Amino acid sequence: MQYSQKVLDHFMHPHNVGKMENPDATATEGSPSCGDQVTVFLKVNEESKVIEDISFLSYGCASNIATASIITDLAKGKSLEEAKAITWRDAMDALDGLPPVKVHCSVLAADTLQTAISNYEIAHGLKEVPNFSKETIIEELKKIIYPKVGEDIVSLKMVKYVGFSDGEVLIDLNMLSFDSWRDNVAEEIHEHLEKYPEVKKIQINFP
Amino acid sequence: MANNIAIKGLAAALKGGHVICSVVDYPDLLTNAAYLEKQGFELTYLSADSEARIDLAELKAAIRPDTVLFMTTIVNHVVGTIQPIREIYEILSGVDHKIYFHADAGQAYGKMPLSMKDLGIDTMSISAHKIHGPQGIGALYVRKGTKLGQVIHGVKRVDNLQTGGLSIALIAGFAKAVELTFGDFDKNLAQLRELSDYLYARLKEKISDIELNGAPGMGRAPHNVNISIDYIEGEAITMMLDMHGITVATGSACASQGLKANYVLMAIGKNHVQSHGSMKFTLSRYTTKEDLDFTVDTLAKITEELRSRSPLYNALKNQEK
Repeated sequence: MQYSQKVLDHFMHPHNVGKMENPDATATEGSPSCGDQVTVFLKVNEESKVIEDISFLSYGCASNIATASIITDLAKGKSLEEAKAITWRDAMDALDGLPPVKVHCSVLAADTLQTAISNYEIAHGLKEVPNFSKETIIEELKKIIYPKVGEDIVSLKMVKYVGFSDGEVLIDLNMLSFDSWRDNVAEEIHEHLEKYPEVKKIQINFP
Repeated sequence: MANNIAIKGLAAALKGGHVICSVVDYPDLLTNAAYLEKQGFELTYLSADSEARIDLAELKAAIRPDTVLFMTTIVNHVVGTIQPIREIYEILSGVDHKIYFHADAGQAYGKMPLSMKDLGIDTMSISAHKIHGPQGIGALYVRKGTKLGQVIHGVKRVDNLQTGGLSIALIAGFAKAVELTFGDFDKNLAQLRELSDYLYARLKEKISDIELNGAPGMGRAPHNVNISIDYIEGEAITMMLDMHGITVATGSACASQGLKANYVLMAIGKNHVQSHGSMKFTLSRYTTKEDLDFTVDTLAKITEELRSRSPLYNALKNQEK
């Protein structure tokens, strides 16, 4: 795999790695069966709402570890509001880029940070548990990377239709039958949406 | 190339019929099998047991009056398991019509005795670089009287099987490699077996929660040790080993271009986590005990480091508390 020097540095010598005792919030995203899992721990100043400490654990490849390391660097010392603006693109840029098939690692790292922040805000009464809707699905689809080019499937206009009713998600994807990434993208969609209890069934249609 | 010339050549001569191979075969065989299906042949893919060995009863049951070809990978390219070639031949030769027998010996040639008389193989492919020969050349064994249709067209060379100029340098290099491999064959094999047993014993001793993939003991080729290390991922391990000058292969999806877990490991009942944490050590007659000690010590340190970063391992430690 062709990694940048920054990815290699963060992989070999990750920053802020390790379990945190008594964190104010945590989040775990990904699953071992999909080959990657990240946990983020946060310590937040109750007055200033600044992330005073952050750490991570990672089960995954070199880029999984490196993206989790950089995301903790980006968030440390930031206010929650500032940290909420950190995206997977920021993580990828800070690492001088990632191979297209590895972009999904930066999504997982950024996603885990955002979930940890959200968990903190919910626990401290700063926000309500968000309602599940079609918009939630679209936001999740924006986190799914087409590994061939390393861009998300929404930006690439591969998502033709999203529907949600009675717990059933319906997605039309513009991926041709000879596209070898079809199964991979479908698996990712299932992984991202099945964590919501509101989702009972997922139907993905291809042309 | 040798696999292609043999399989497509046999297919061209046979013109049609039923072909048997297995789900754990080398990609050359599986992609050629898919090609044969497109050409109108009917294919049966045998399953493999938890050690990647095909089931002889399943083979017997799969043979039909129109079965024309059986293909196998003598030593599995991922987990090193040796297929029961002699028993397979006995089954094939007991059928009342001719079933051609093609074998991929990429991982077997130079790693175990292969008596062509006893094994009844009709065509067999060999790779030079697997025995320290040059890359870009192989050999095809063809039993006398076996008819191969022409699959490569051009200026006729080597019984119509090849075209283009032959590379004398590659042939000379390959010949030298064969000479060196078989010069001290029995001693080399015994040494390889001793070293791979030593490697696995040392791995078990120094690293917790590992398991062997494929057949144990004499059921596997002497140069292959394939293990899964729990709670950590193979690409990360191989990259760290690489930084120390150690090269191993992994079946992790994260290390594959298609992000898919290794098909052999999945076919023999391993789960995604076991495939992600798998690695294959390949030994040669140039490997020393010191090399193996260095490898195991380095891997033990890397495993400890990566496990300290792993949420799966941390969760386990928490449970133990």
